[in-house]
Amino acid sequence: MADDTKTAEGKEYSRREFITGIGGLGAGAVFGGLIVKGFMLPDEVYAIPASEGYLLVDTKKCGGCESCMLACSLAHTGRSNINLSRIQITQNPFGKFPNDMAQIQCRQCPYPACIDACPTGAMHAESEFGNVRMVDEGKCIGCERCVNACPFTPSRVQWNFEDRHAQKCDLCANAPHWNKDGGPNGSQACIELCPMKAISFTPTVPAQSDAGYVVNLRNSHWGNLMFPTT
Amino acid sequence: MANGGYVGKILYVNLTDKSIEDIPTADYEEWGGGHGIGSAIFWDRVKDKTIDGYDPDNLVSFMSSPLSGTLAPSASGRTEVTGIGIQAYPVGWFTRSNFGGRFSGMIKYAGWDGVVVQGASESPVWINIVNDKVTIEDASGLWGLNTHETQEEIWSMVTGQSDVREWWSLSGARDGGRTTQKPAVVCIGPAGENGNRNGCLIHDSGNGGGQGGFGGILGVKNLKAISVIGTGSVPVADPAALLQLRDEVQSKFGYNVDDPALETPVPGVNLYGILTQQPGYGTLLWAPEKPARPQGCMGCYRNCRMNHTDGLANGNQCVESLYFMAGPTQDDIKRAVTLLDQMGINVYDVFQHEYLFGLYKQGILGPGKQIHSELPWDKYGTYEFMEAFTKAVAYGTDIGEDLKDGLTRAAVKWGRWDIDTANGSLTRPQWGFSEHYDPRLEVDWSYGSLFGDRDINEHDFNWHVHWMPLVTGAVGQAPLISAARVAELMGKATGTSPDAFDYSQEGIYSDARLDAVTWHRYYTRYWKQSISFCDWAWPILITYNTEDNVGGTPTYEPALFKAVTGLDISMDKGLEIGRRIWNLDRAIWVLQGRNREMEVFTDYVYDVPTVAPYPLLVKANGEWIFDTCVGRTLDREKFESVKDRFYKLHGWGVDTGWPTRATLESLGLSHVADELAKADKLGS
Repeated sequence: MADDTKTAEGKEYSRREFITGIGGLGAGAVFGGLIVKGFMLPDEVYAIPASEGYLLVDTKKCGGCESCMLACSLAHTGRSNINLSRIQITQNPFGKFPNDMAQIQCRQCPYPACIDACPTGAMHAESEFGNVRMVDEGKCIGCERCVNACPFTPSRVQWNFEDRHAQKCDLCANAPHWNKDGGPNGSQACIELCPMKAISFTPTVPAQSDAGYVVNLRNSHWGNLMFPTT
Repeated sequence: MANGGYVGKILYVNLTDKSIEDIPTADYEEWGGGHGIGSAIFWDRVKDKTIDGYDPDNLVSFMSSPLSGTLAPSASGRTEVTGIGIQAYPVGWFTRSNFGGRFSGMIKYAGWDGVVVQGASESPVWINIVNDKVTIEDASGLWGLNTHETQEEIWSMVTGQSDVREWWSLSGARDGGRTTQKPAVVCIGPAGENGNRNGCLIHDSGNGGGQGGFGGILGVKNLKAISVIGTGSVPVADPAALLQLRDEVQSKFGYNVDDPALETPVPGVNLYGILTQQPGYGTLLWAPEKPARPQGCMGCYRNCRMNHTDGLANGNQCVESLYFMAGPTQDDIKRAVTLLDQMGINVYDVFQHEYLFGLYKQGILGPGKQIHSELPWDKYGTYEFMEAFTKAVAYGTDIGEDLKDGLTRAAVKWGRWDIDTANGSLTRPQWGFSEHYDPRLEVDWSYGSLFGDRDINEHDFNWHVHWMPLVTGAVGQAPLISAARVAELMGKATGTSPDAFDYSQEGIYSDARLDAVTWHRYYTRYWKQSISFCDWAWPILITYNTEDNVGGTPTYEPALFKAVTGLDISMDKGLEIGRRIWNLDRAIWVLQGRNREMEVFTDYVYDVPTVAPYPLLVKANGEWIFDTCVGRTLDREKFESVKDRFYKLHGWGVDTGWPTRATLESLGLSHVADELAKADKLGS
């Protein structure tokens, strides 16, 4: 396998970037055979182009107000329902900062197990929207293989039990109630409406850990509120 | 009829016979939501309005609003509680409380606009709501647990996990709904179980419904908790408009955390957040010494609370966070607050513990004294004392035997009430509630409380006329905007006049001031307590984050309401519904025994002059200033004149304070007039 792999859309994708992306899956995924399987397959299997956009959530800046969840469900479905949000915030009201909350967003994986698992091509990288991984709802047959294939807990791919199809973060590419252009080249409702500015966008694969992409969005003004900036 | 916001039905649970009923929300939609619907259901279902709050027939509502569970900024997370209270003195008026968090949103996701409970169970129970499935469960295993333990236990029982962090299916069916969330639980602690008049409702951490004693009421009903988890959607009439309005409100009036328009000049002075709206400022007088984050109620655009690195005092704010301000360390302050939260005690009844310490120092209270107490009063100011005191109140031991009935009734029992409310050592101006802001000066607060049912706890005007000059002065700044500009903006936003905000010695009795008091009563009853705009965020009469300081009221409340419901309720129409709710409440109070003679303050308000500087907006010799208002009292005779004019303005009999038939009929409340007539209590 070459150090650099050229995708179908021509985006250069380095092995380092690829390994970094896989790193976020954690040891379970590695020993589960994902990487082994990957290295044993021909290069063209990897020719799922990298997403041109990623959400970054500063886990220490989040205020747990769930505004991102409310914005996401409203922008996508026109209804208000945190359970249909493609970004999830879980909280323990009695928990200890910073482990009192978890912010759960799709990482637009370089190797998207959800796409690999989909038998119909419903889950795909959408070239019209910078290769964001998203669901063609018309093709979804409800097998939920994508939901189960996501290596993260909780799964970043959800079963939309009201509209009966799989769904995941599409960076607002298909958000009919969001009166702005979405996708990697547009704007995302969760980012714009987070009052703590704890979510941001990046066009390149970020560094990550098991807890998520590593990002610090807190500047000196945050420190003036007596909150930690490191 | 609305095409968004409501989810269609209200859950009614009779705890006596364990029956469950759906009440169609459409039957009550005319009242808006929250308080309005709670009052209307109470009126319809409680035939004898004179019952005591402890009576099993007392009906307690936990109501959401059309905006609950939506993206409406700082209007999504409040739950309004109504019923006959047990805290007010000498009569436990029909009253209200309110708590934040996520209960109101979750109840709607489960498919209910609210929960109403009536009756009393013979043994401890809790109500378990999982979408449309409602069960009344045995709570014998929960009885005795504190409020945090109770919630953790219920989370585990409902979800099978104590700390949910993954998708779980509510029904097991593919389309039966899945969530990553914990059930939202409102519960009582030991204080409520003991029927304390200062028993509080607690939800998550730091969300308390204190005033009224609803914790104690649930305790005598043997209702330990209501838990709800839901996965359904709330319909929104115009999703794109709601997204746009949210963006506008947040961008214009919110605090830009990365590049604030206005920033505290002294980091760590959380009080300055009153002006900036900065996150985490809710503790007001203390900032975190250890790592922390802001934390907000569902859908908030400000997130005024905090979660801490030790998990103590999470979510606590305002007076609760100040329960032990004299604590030697911040850890002690947070431990005391957490214990109070766990015991489920209404802080506003017990934070005047320094009054009790005063009695101890005078030799009136202590071991073997007139008021016997073996608590370690010699260790007042330590956590050891606060722990002993808090537990004594919760469990009704030692001095808690009296304090479980509230400090007011305890003072009456001890023979201290008349003396100490006359000399001002016990500052409780009306209905036995603690002084919140000076009743001699901030009269929209005190008049509103006296003509109502409780300490109103409505900061609408107070942030600007009092706190703005106080906070800026505290950090060595001049007021951010002039007194004249404050009066102008307040008059414009409320549709009254600048003179309506003249708190001078003469101004507090003026007709213009009564216009502001009236606007306040109607605004809060509808927009705040029925539509659930948060008290700390709305109305936006003035903003300090823009150049022109023009706030969002009266534009944004109706616009947000329309985006969610599709209904055109203008600000004025909302105020008219508020007037209707206010009069319905007034009718209940009248049936409970309210009359003109009762509506007087305790003596210190009239007789003891103010001594501490108290910045307030005043018009002096034609010039607007922020005065210190030292040496002022409320004049008895002039206040009686206020009552004459206020009653007349509201369509109540001047001699009685009772609504007239004409007033009630003009509001579509002829059935209410009929009931007052039967009791021979119609005003004339």
